[in-house]
Amino acid sequence: MTAKRVTFKLNGVTLEAPEGQLVIEAAKAAGVEIPHYCYHPALGNPGNCRLCVVEVAGAPKPMVSCRTQVREGLEVYTDSEPARRAQASSLELHLVNHPLDCPVCDQSGECGLQDYYMKFGRYDSQVREAKEHKRKRLEIGPHVMLDQERCVLCTRCTRFTEKITKTSELGIFGRGHKEFVDLAPGQRLDNAYSGNTVDLCPVGALTDKDFRFKVRVWYLDQTPSICADCSRGCNVSLHTNTKRPWHDEGRRLARVKPRHNPEVNQWWLCDEGRYGFKKFDEDRLGRVMRLIPYRRELAWETALDELASELRRELEALGPEGLAVVASGALSNEDWAAFKAFFVDALGCKRFLFAPQPDQLGIEDDLLRRKEKVPNLEGGKALGFGSAVASLSWERLEADLEAGKIWGLYLIERDAARFWGAKASALLSKPRLVVWQGPWKGRTGELAHFRLPATAHIEEDGHFTNFEGRIQAYQKALEPLGQARPDWSIFEGLRQRLGAAQKAAR
Amino acid sequence: MKILTRHFDNPKLHELETYRALGGYQGLAKARGMAPQAVQEEVKKSNLRGLGGAGFPVGMKWSTVPPPEKAPERFVVANFDESEPGCFKDRVLGTRAPHQILEGLLIACHAVSARWGFVFIRGEYADQYDILKKAVAEAEAAGLCGDVKVRLMRGAGAYICGLDTALLETMEGKKAWPRQPPPFPTVVGLMGKPTVVNNVETLSMLPHILVNGGQWFADIGAKGDPARRIHPSGGTAVYSVSGDVERPGIYEFAMGTPLRQIIEAAGGVRGGRALKAVIPGGTSTPPLAASEIDVPMDFDSLRGVGSFLGAGGIVVLDETRDMVEVSHNIERFLAHESCGQCTPCREGSEWTTRILERVLEGGGVEPDLANLRRVGENIAGKVICALGDTVGMVVRGYMKKFPEDFAKRLPAKPAEAAR
Amino acid sequence: MSHSLSAEQKAELEAWRTYYPYPIMGLLEALRCVQGWFRCVPPEVEPHLAELFSTSVAHVHEVATFFPFLTRKPAGRHRVGICRGLSCAMAGSKDISRCLEKSLGAREGETSPDGRFSWEEMECLGACDHAPALLVDERLKGKATEEAVAKLAENLK
Repeated sequence: MTAKRVTFKLNGVTLEAPEGQLVIEAAKAAGVEIPHYCYHPALGNPGNCRLCVVEVAGAPKPMVSCRTQVREGLEVYTDSEPARRAQASSLELHLVNHPLDCPVCDQSGECGLQDYYMKFGRYDSQVREAKEHKRKRLEIGPHVMLDQERCVLCTRCTRFTEKITKTSELGIFGRGHKEFVDLAPGQRLDNAYSGNTVDLCPVGALTDKDFRFKVRVWYLDQTPSICADCSRGCNVSLHTNTKRPWHDEGRRLARVKPRHNPEVNQWWLCDEGRYGFKKFDEDRLGRVMRLIPYRRELAWETALDELASELRRELEALGPEGLAVVASGALSNEDWAAFKAFFVDALGCKRFLFAPQPDQLGIEDDLLRRKEKVPNLEGGKALGFGSAVASLSWERLEADLEAGKIWGLYLIERDAARFWGAKASALLSKPRLVVWQGPWKGRTGELAHFRLPATAHIEEDGHFTNFEGRIQAYQKALEPLGQARPDWSIFEGLRQRLGAAQKAAR
Repeated sequence: MKILTRHFDNPKLHELETYRALGGYQGLAKARGMAPQAVQEEVKKSNLRGLGGAGFPVGMKWSTVPPPEKAPERFVVANFDESEPGCFKDRVLGTRAPHQILEGLLIACHAVSARWGFVFIRGEYADQYDILKKAVAEAEAAGLCGDVKVRLMRGAGAYICGLDTALLETMEGKKAWPRQPPPFPTVVGLMGKPTVVNNVETLSMLPHILVNGGQWFADIGAKGDPARRIHPSGGTAVYSVSGDVERPGIYEFAMGTPLRQIIEAAGGVRGGRALKAVIPGGTSTPPLAASEIDVPMDFDSLRGVGSFLGAGGIVVLDETRDMVEVSHNIERFLAHESCGQCTPCREGSEWTTRILERVLEGGGVEPDLANLRRVGENIAGKVICALGDTVGMVVRGYMKKFPEDFAKRLPAKPAEAAR
Repeated sequence: MSHSLSAEQKAELEAWRTYYPYPIMGLLEALRCVQGWFRCVPPEVEPHLAELFSTSVAHVHEVATFFPFLTRKPAGRHRVGICRGLSCAMAGSKDISRCLEKSLGAREGETSPDGRFSWEEMECLGACDHAPALLVDERLKGKATEEAVAKLAENLK
């Protein structure tokens, strides 16, 4: 049942909103910011920070907008003199015991206290008393650092661990001005979603161990993207550091933050997705290489010419039956279209393997994490690359390789050699042609005939289709490393070289 | 006029036999012969108001409990968490007349059709806990509890539990962070069920109202004056009198009795000293100057002079008392007891205390007074419960009525020094 | 020091769990029991309480650290309180504090080396008619005098 829409006045402007909507939300929808710490749409409105106070016509005192509901004829002022004074005085009390250690605080630049002081505070300090001291630099889990002095006790983090992860590692202990946030005895903040507490913390009390002191946030650029670490497709923002390349050990990607999407990941991101980003700057394939018969670097045009002519030769001699393609679900929808045009339409290839190696399945839970650790198996399925088309299993591939039934093996991102271990060299020495394509070196990369560097998804525009069939766009955040180019352009380059003749082979 | 303390000269009043011989449990019997609705009406007629400090009309509170068809499970809680500095009347009532409390609780249970009655008692009242436990056992053995199960629960040292919603949180096994009504406890209370929380003195009045009738009780109290927004307050109140008086103790008087008369009953100011100030309702209520003690002691008359009846904790301060010390003592208490939930109160109560501390230690500066006033005003009206409002109200009260005590602890203003 | 619970102690906690209409309502009384047995609420016992009352350790610890009667460090075998509320402060509770420190051999909020006593300045004890009010093991002992306090150590076994 949809709520009745009513009209109310916000700062003198007549607006419509669903009856019963919280004023803080209705204001947000109208583009009016009301300062707040404790309120969070996913975690409720305990109303303890008392910062979101507004003037309500007819009310004898300021009202907290996180607990005031919109009703017909309501008149709210967020920017009147009494409202502004109430907000500023609440903020002042938040800062009485705050250590003001902004120069050494990692939250600087994205701190709720700094931002609100500039927007809603701007008073002169009247504090003559010494600050309360609490514990600092506490490593409370693998990813999160706690500074109790900076905490404003908004209880967002404790409500997150209580309500969302249901792990309750954190609590507000003690009473009154002596109270502090901390781990419960014997606990560690090591749940699979611990990094979200850092996002939720409006101040510098919870900071990211990985990101701390690496680079100031104002040097970072943000690009909307999709997490590629499982098939959920969590919406993320990539924070890249290209303005200060000498910071953070030269890493281009400084951190990953979740982007709110109510349909996919709400406000959250799992720690695996959040902290897995270092791989984008590590062990990458940079150069186009041919390793067999002898090792040499190639220009793209030469490599594609050579590979296309070898594929044509073997295909004409041995037929498409002996060509096997192993691909992960890391391809974008654009890649999948080019993949189909090349392998199916141009080459007539019939033998595909899309299943992850058995050791490549992750943990699944009822919050976000999915067991397929690739983003876009669905995009392939939409083009017919479902399990029905995947005529190979890992066992069958291994058997066919041993039996010499496969003349060509084209591997895209699935590091088969790592999975096969000691058997890998023997198995990969059987086909006449082994191609390794993808963003990373991988073990297979050392044993292939051709090594084709592809872009990681953060270096291109594209779309993934998540496990529910939702098509989501991601944007290019960084330039490709070395010679890497998108998978689709590699497939397309090969297809054009193979000529129109094979087109009819379907 | 004595109602609750009428038989306090009897040393065996706490025993069931004696209590019954003096007419005890007749009110319960009468109530049980009436429909719950009729009991509520009788109590409404009596103008009984909550004596824990809020002064809310009891009958009206009960009538907000949804009908049993809508919510079959409902509770009554006797609030015996007396912790306001200056108040000790509940302790004496519990020591001397535990059955009076219990009978009141059982009447309230009947009036709202509750099958569970609780007594929440502060942990430091261990003797009173034992006395009450024995009384419950006696009443149960005598079949007086009927189908009501009575359960006691002890606190563990937190003033804020005396506030109904904080008390309910505590009873639910949580820390005592007050809830933010609405909904009010009579609709969503203990474990989400409709719950009536009444102070033990309030409950003690019920047997007498049932026996003698609501009109009798109303006639005893203050009549009220609608033109001056003074509502009637039925019956009597039991005052705790302490501080600089000759005979500290409890004194029962009809609602509306002038404060002066109560202080005189306690023997007046000790040692023949002059009166400087009186706290009328416990230390959370602003002080009255010596000139203001002719005020009638009822909820609304006191509001008219900028203070509150509170829980009737009268503290007498003689001419030797320094109001900076007094207000520091009270603010330190409030900061210690602030639950920590709302930022303005948590930070503001401590800040206020520390400013006063610095002033007491001789480090006061000229802007301190304005700042004390400002900090208090910045907490007031912006927090969930009344404790935060009290922080500013108290220090403002002392600064307003005794400015010379504050002024003499601050460096003279340059203009005055030059003179 | 071992903080494991005996069978009798577990039975007593279980009794509180079932005493009220809802199990969680017994938590505060259960914590009071634990405080009585160990003179503090040891962190090792909190998981047991959390399990018994179907809640989290964080919740139990929040409650255990909120109420001053419940302590982290062991209180003395006898726990003495002197009221510092307004009426008691006016009646000289500070002087009694000084006597307690001398008589019990411990500073405010601390426990004597032999573990026999600890003492605290407490908020209003509800005994302003006997100011300054003294509390011994949760029982009000009336007006504290310097003489009585001086003999307190002898009188308490």
